[in-house]
Amino acid sequence: MENRGRYIYGVAAGGSMVTLGPIGIEGNEVYTIPYRELCAIVHNYPAEPYQSSDDEIVKNWVRTHQSVLDTAQERFGTIIPLGFDTILKPKDDTTHPDQVVKDWLKEDYDRLRNLIGKMEGKDEYVVQVSYEPSIIGKQISGRSEEVKRIKEDLATKSPGMAYMYRQKLEKAVKSEMERLANDWFKDFYRRIKCHCDDIVVEKTRKADGNKVMLVNLSCLVARERVDNLGEELEKINNMEGFSVHFSGPWPPYSFVAKPVVPVKEEVK
Amino acid sequence: MNPTRDTHATLVDLLDRVLDKGLILDADLIIHVAGIPLLGVKLRAALAGMETMLKYGIWQDWDEAQRAIATKEYRQKKMAMAPEGEVAALCHKSDRTVTTVL
Repeated sequence: MENRGRYIYGVAAGGSMVTLGPIGIEGNEVYTIPYRELCAIVHNYPAEPYQSSDDEIVKNWVRTHQSVLDTAQERFGTIIPLGFDTILKPKDDTTHPDQVVKDWLKEDYDRLRNLIGKMEGKDEYVVQVSYEPSIIGKQISGRSEEVKRIKEDLATKSPGMAYMYRQKLEKAVKSEMERLANDWFKDFYRRIKCHCDDIVVEKTRKADGNKVMLVNLSCLVARERVDNLGEELEKINNMEGFSVHFSGPWPPYSFVAKPVVPVKEEVK
Repeated sequence: MNPTRDTHATLVDLLDRVLDKGLILDADLIIHVAGIPLLGVKLRAALAGMETMLKYGIWQDWDEAQRAIATKEYRQKKMAMAPEGEVAALCHKSDRTVTTVL
């Protein structure tokens, strides 16, 4: 089938046509399509999406998508990443597929230029803070007056009553933990945010093992501030019962996704 | 502490980003956008609107009906996520912007 589609990995600053070699998804040759001082990083592909019900295949595609962006970043500096499986195709048979990509760069030029300027010298990092309820629970038992009191009462009760008291105890620990979680979130968020240029609060997910994820952030961080963020995270990671997941640098996926597509005024 | 890019430890971070985020384009040019008839349902089961999009399924005829459906779902999702004051602004905006975010 003729390769009428252009799979787009991202956009970079670079005004010439460059080939990056057969590093693309399924070994496709990756190259750039320039418009003024911008270029789109693409490979040629039939005008249909990649799709598979096999998770492993999809994971490999996604990893390759990222590794192409890594290579492009080394070469061009700042990258505006696109999501997986964005493919442009011409509307008719007479238009060259590369032209469609150029037309898009032209139409979206101001926004792309602006985004590249904004992202220059910055990368995205994932910061997640989780806590271990069993360890935190023990700390609460040692500190909270209410919990101490229920524990003392519990020791003097008959087995039947003790069951009720144990439930009461669990409830008191849980509610204290919820109250604290709120404070921890605010505290960690404040301490992390001051090292970031921009920040997105993501939904927390199920954490590994018995941990509970408290904070899930996408952070846009200037390169010279990453060490400071790392130091702050080290302090949180060293707190008993807490652990920090810190990954990156990633292209700024979470900071280019706002749907601010220029929309042509509709003619009525 | 130092950030990691270890492939095993960061796979979920990568999937979260490459599959759900990144720059969004004008739908008129695109035949397919991440998040629509892609990947088998397993990885993306949590995505609202997936079923409807699969029902219509065909990316090449991105016709008005599909746009309307996607716009509606996008708006609902945004409204669910947005603080109250922003809802009106988003409704207005999503009527005009493309419908590629699901």
